Amino acid sequence: MSAVRFQAIAKSFGPVQALLPVDLEIAQGEFLTLLGPSGSGKTTLLNICAGYLEPTSGHLFVGERDITGLPPRHRNMGMVFQNYALFPHMSVAENIAYGLQVRRFASEDIRRRVAGALQMVRLDGLGDRAIRQLSGGQQQRVALARALVIEPDILLMDEPLGALDRQLRKEVQLEIRRLHVSQRRTTIYVTHDQEEALVMSDRIAVMRAGRIVQLGSAVDLYERPVDTFVAKFIGESNLLAGIVVSLADGRACLTVSGIDQPLAGTAAPGVFAGSPAAALLRPEAIYNRAGGLKAKVLERVYLGEIVAVRLSLAGGHELWSRRLAGEFSASDIVEIGWDANVVSILPNASDEPQLGGTNAE
Amino acid sequence: MSFAGRLATAVLLTPALLIVGLAFVVPLARLVGRSFNSPVGPFAAYAQVLGDDIYARVFANTFFFAVVVTIISLLIAYPVAFMLTRLTANWRAALFSCVLLPLWISVLVRTFSWMLLLERNGPINRVLVGSGLSDQPVALLFNHTSVLIGMVHVLLPYAVLPMFAALVRIDPALLRASEGLGAHRHTTFFRVLLPLSLRGVATAATFVFLLSLGFFITPALLGGSASITLSMLIDGFVNDRLDWPLASAASVVLLVAAMVVVASVGRFVSIGSMAGVHR
Amino acid sequence: MIGRIALNAFVALVAAFLVLPIVAVVPGAFSAQSFIRLPPETWSLRWWNTFFADPSWRRTLISSLQVAMLTTFVSATAGTAAALGIARCGPRVQTVLTGIFLGPIVTPVIVMAVALYAMALSTGLVGTMTALVAAHTMMALPYVVLNVGVSLSGLDRRLLLAAAGLGADPVRVFQTVTLPLIAPGVIGGSVFAFVTSFDEVVLSIFLAGPAAKTLPVRIWEEIRVEYTPVVAVAASVMLVLALMAAIGSRFAARKLSP
Repeated sequence: MSAVRFQAIAKSFGPVQALLPVDLEIAQGEFLTLLGPSGSGKTTLLNICAGYLEPTSGHLFVGERDITGLPPRHRNMGMVFQNYALFPHMSVAENIAYGLQVRRFASEDIRRRVAGALQMVRLDGLGDRAIRQLSGGQQQRVALARALVIEPDILLMDEPLGALDRQLRKEVQLEIRRLHVSQRRTTIYVTHDQEEALVMSDRIAVMRAGRIVQLGSAVDLYERPVDTFVAKFIGESNLLAGIVVSLADGRACLTVSGIDQPLAGTAAPGVFAGSPAAALLRPEAIYNRAGGLKAKVLERVYLGEIVAVRLSLAGGHELWSRRLAGEFSASDIVEIGWDANVVSILPNASDEPQLGGTNAE
Repeated sequence: MSFAGRLATAVLLTPALLIVGLAFVVPLARLVGRSFNSPVGPFAAYAQVLGDDIYARVFANTFFFAVVVTIISLLIAYPVAFMLTRLTANWRAALFSCVLLPLWISVLVRTFSWMLLLERNGPINRVLVGSGLSDQPVALLFNHTSVLIGMVHVLLPYAVLPMFAALVRIDPALLRASEGLGAHRHTTFFRVLLPLSLRGVATAATFVFLLSLGFFITPALLGGSASITLSMLIDGFVNDRLDWPLASAASVVLLVAAMVVVASVGRFVSIGSMAGVHR
Repeated sequence: MIGRIALNAFVALVAAFLVLPIVAVVPGAFSAQSFIRLPPETWSLRWWNTFFADPSWRRTLISSLQVAMLTTFVSATAGTAAALGIARCGPRVQTVLTGIFLGPIVTPVIVMAVALYAMALSTGLVGTMTALVAAHTMMALPYVVLNVGVSLSGLDRRLLLAAAGLGADPVRVFQTVTLPLIAPGVIGGSVFAFVTSFDEVVLSIFLAGPAAKTLPVRIWEEIRVEYTPVVAVAASVMLVLALMAAIGSRFAARKLSP
């Protein structure tokens, strides 16, 4: 049985459709991330789950129970807000104790649980601090402790790492992951950062324009994106736009202007012969091949363990590669190739102008 | 700063300082001096003002009005201030206009309006009688009630504005966080909203109380013989009894009371912020 | 949900309580009878004719406007200069000076009225325009200082340095950069000053005499004895002029704010 089930949940603000009917089930103990650009409806969906927004239509179930109209205070969900929303007039311990006091726990019990929560987020001994005396990372952990101490049925997080710097973000990502693995609490996590989503999630729902475009594991999304939007959003990608000339047995051939041979690859659902589509070539799949496609080196970017190279093909197409070997410099001509089985032919994302060129680095 | 710079600063400040000095500091200082200048003895005027039973009634009246007006104003103004933080831009502008409009109109005009509304044959009494709520016209004017109504009406905006300023700074996510943690609306109000807006409430209370203490026009026009306040007493000392030491002593008492209020909350609220909301 | 509706209704009631009693005086001015009853049983303009035909009422309106304009001029110039002066001082001096200028706001008006009356008596200024303007200016000054001060604190100092760096002397910097940028504060403060003076009653009651009597003083005197609808006309005139100032300042603020 699922822990949370969205059943045709939709939301509009006046004439604006923020969320088209969404169906989504989250399993007990699952870490699900809603990933998408701003305005994709991910925060709306989270707020509907928390009860801060009422859906225009549809139903929300926790277990068997329909909680669509239930006020937030009866939902027993723990929310970590984007800017933490810590009570500035209360100490760290008072913030964490708040949900327990509201639930009328005995004071001794509260003390014990607050101490436990502080330990869990590695803030032991900071209980008496004022909120403003804490660093951003510490505040983030207080917010997490406050949400977890009430032992919520579901943990909700709204871009919880947005205010942290890059280094700290990586640390906290791993810490959230560690807590999740040890507690296995059902979690819905909202972010626009694909890296966060890939590191932490069991499954990721990629959202765009009020709908879930693709739902799957990190591997699913990376290796089998449903369209060009998901391909661009997850990982680095080279997309070459063209027209599908043949389609058979799940394989498609795409002609790309300026390139003599058609590109062959695995066809995603929604690709039709004669329709425009795009070939997805991950940068790590492109390597040197004598007698292969001729490409001009535009620039080399040193990224530590690897070197990324921007190439230009005939017809004005640009590609990034991360697997080119050898010493060369700008304007050199190199010959490149790739294995046909790593190429995916994807439909263009709906209501989006035709893709040209690449979107990587 | 160079000498020329200092000179320029002094020149800029001089006219205003002269005005404040001649029309504020000097008259006040002379008034204080005069209060100790009774022919009977230096403290005779104070002994008379503070010792008399009738005057004690007046002090009690003044204090009563100030306290009650402050409490009523805060209770009415808080929901309005809260509402101002919740409304959409157009409605907020409309409600703001309603709050600010009275501040542009002379207290005298507003008080006169209340006299016409509350009088024996006035519209309110006619509605009361006409609707059968009352058999005969109710005495709404020239008593404590009319003074309270008039004062609350005049002072309400001064209560709304500082509380709005405090409430609007509160992150709405805090209220949602409280609710999400399981708190009932009352709990959220008493444990989050009210504590975080307390500075605004204190500023509003100070401002309203301070203005109430020295109120003159409204109680003088709307009050009856039982609702004499300190400012009316002072007016009487000056204009009817021509007793300057007594008038001065009573004024100093009022002044000291106002200063005590300001000093006791001065650390907590800023007078500048109160003045900033004026008009 | 019920709480929400109750709150809406309550706030709507308060808004009505704030606004309606203010305009209640206006219908009283259109009474045909010789007393005020709201709303009047028969309507006429006769009391408006009386008001504008009576030289004594006209005179009070004119002196009200004169006092208010003089007060506005003096307090706007002195107040703007003072705000500029305060901004040039160190933080500690600023606190002291601000305290001095805010004094009149926290002092009970009746105390100021008695103090000024005593002062005017001993200097022979009772009943003069000078006394009224001085008293009103003292009351209006803090608002100008505050308003201009707020504008100044929002002024980017680098603009002044930039102007100076481009070769402007201090006077020119003030004329071309400082003044235009603090203009909203000066205008706002001036409108406050005008309305403060025009609306002022308590100080005026004590300081006015037959020679210099403002409109509110005359209204006050009439209300205290026996009044006819002409007082409602006078009150309506005050109301309308104050509203015009309020609306005017709104427009000016919108036009001037960058």
